[in-house]
Amino acid sequence: MATVVIVDDPIRLGHRSWLSKVRGRGWWGWVAVLVLIGAFAVAGGLISPYDHTQQVPREKFLSPLESGSRGLHVFGTDELGRDVLSQVIAGARLTLFIAMAATLIGASIGCLLGMLAGYLGGWVDRVVMRLTEAQTAMPMFLVALLLLSSLGPSVWNLIAILPTYIWPTFARLIRGETLRMRSAAFVEAAVTIGCRTRTVLARHLLPNLASRVGVLLAISTGQVILSEAGLSFIGAGVQDPDVTWGLLISGGRTYLTVAWWPTVFPGLFAGLTVFALNGLARRFTETGAR
Amino acid sequence: MAATTLPPEPTVAPDGAVPVPRRKRRRKRLALNRLRDGLIVLFLVLTAIFLLGAVVGDPAESLAPPEATQEQVDRIRSNLGLDRPLVAQAGEYYSGLVRGDLGESLVIARNQPALPLVVERLPSTIRLTIAGLLFSVLLGVVPGIVAGVRPGSLVDRVGTFLATAGVSFPYFWFGQILILVVAVQLKWVSVLPGNDVSAYLLPGITLGIHHGGRLFQLVRSATLDELDKSYVTVAQSKGLGYYAVVLRHILRNIGVVLATMVGWEYARMWGGTVFLIEFTFAWPGIGKLVTEAAQRHDFHVVQAGVVVAGIFVVVANLVVDVMSAAIDKRVEVS
Repeated sequence: MATVVIVDDPIRLGHRSWLSKVRGRGWWGWVAVLVLIGAFAVAGGLISPYDHTQQVPREKFLSPLESGSRGLHVFGTDELGRDVLSQVIAGARLTLFIAMAATLIGASIGCLLGMLAGYLGGWVDRVVMRLTEAQTAMPMFLVALLLLSSLGPSVWNLIAILPTYIWPTFARLIRGETLRMRSAAFVEAAVTIGCRTRTVLARHLLPNLASRVGVLLAISTGQVILSEAGLSFIGAGVQDPDVTWGLLISGGRTYLTVAWWPTVFPGLFAGLTVFALNGLARRFTETGAR
Repeated sequence: MAATTLPPEPTVAPDGAVPVPRRKRRRKRLALNRLRDGLIVLFLVLTAIFLLGAVVGDPAESLAPPEATQEQVDRIRSNLGLDRPLVAQAGEYYSGLVRGDLGESLVIARNQPALPLVVERLPSTIRLTIAGLLFSVLLGVVPGIVAGVRPGSLVDRVGTFLATAGVSFPYFWFGQILILVVAVQLKWVSVLPGNDVSAYLLPGITLGIHHGGRLFQLVRSATLDELDKSYVTVAQSKGLGYYAVVLRHILRNIGVVLATMVGWEYARMWGGTVFLIEFTFAWPGIGKLVTEAAQRHDFHVVQAGVVVAGIFVVVANLVVDVMSAAIDKRVEVS
């Protein structure tokens, strides 16, 4: 019923199918990268050539494409003779898990606060906006260091801290969009037939924000991947038995002058993932509702 | 059509005194409003830092040796004043902030006040951020304008690609690659931090790749938005050359916006990137100090670092906001 009303509304958003928005050259390449990385994360040990924890001390620092007793090492081996390609594949799972979990938590907080601020207005709006500004003004890298050094570095603490990096972006965007739509005919219609505020927000506003939220989800996931990599890089994030790309970059740092491959390949994959997410997000916005 | 909506001219009072134009007063009020908001945000940030510290920052447990008894841990705690009620601790924190006293270093430099340790490193970090800002402007703003006025051109497409790469790949990883290629392989510059100008080159460029990439994207779309404005059409239709339109009209109109964007990126550096770059390049600034302090659970030093960085972020944002409100006549009171 609401749909019929939206058609007349000048500010309809997220109405066309998402596929029509990504039409155009180039987007399939990014999707392919993400599918590959996703396959790494899901299949993990099934597609990795060797066990990523297996150490062969005699075969340390084999160059990329060099063969050892186990066979070909496409990305070479590290200081303990572990296969770098297998490590990169193993790192995908935890990297993506942390990034997606933290992004979803942050997006939920941001969407909820943003919708409340935009829809209710008044003091709620002012409080949420000040909180958003304060959060944005926090030097989050150092704050995360402070928290992680006190709480102890762990995957769950990372997932608890990383959402604070991104929720303000969601809150600000959703607040603006909600403000624009608050007086739209379909919202007024919903209120008139007696919908509760909760229903208006969840059933009528949220679906109309979906495309914007989708774009921001992609960008934010990339941001979280980079933040997690940074924290793991300095040793405050993920710890040794676990593997993420950030931790792998950090591990190769000591031996950078001896061997570049244990550092370069994990960073390359982290960057490619974020690049694909950003590229896809840009494709969405450029051909989207604007 | 527009004539009816023009604001009334300021009337001259009967005694001949010209009243302050309303628009000017409004701008002053806007600037003051933003100053007030900025101070509220600063207060919120400092409070949040205190609360986070109070909730999680019990250094007593991590400072005590593993075999310490509960009584010994309690004694450390009461020595640090951590057993007192939260309100009392908060009072001490705020009065300490005003006096510039943020507790003592517990590990790194035993019993030395924490804040001077951080402030000592401040000039080094500030110089690095300025180098980073220069490279960001060089790599981001100038190509961003060129790409924005010629959308779809080669510069635009290559620039957009590089800028997206710049913001997507981990910047500390770029830093490592730069160290490896430029300093170790080619031996063009030394990576030892010193007073030499060349020491700023690699960390500065690394910061520039990341923040310049973001600036490029922002500046490009800001410039692109101007192209559709009617003043550009007017300027072109009266026969003004392409460069004259860009230099005399577009640049002037987006000048304040550009300055705002550059200011925001500077604040973002203090939000985290510069500290990670310091760690990567072993730069003797706040970031290196605080990461070391964090690894050794030196709580007060980390907290002092967070406070100093937070003040820089807020003040940088505040300066940008107040200035754009004071300069740009188009900014409205909201």
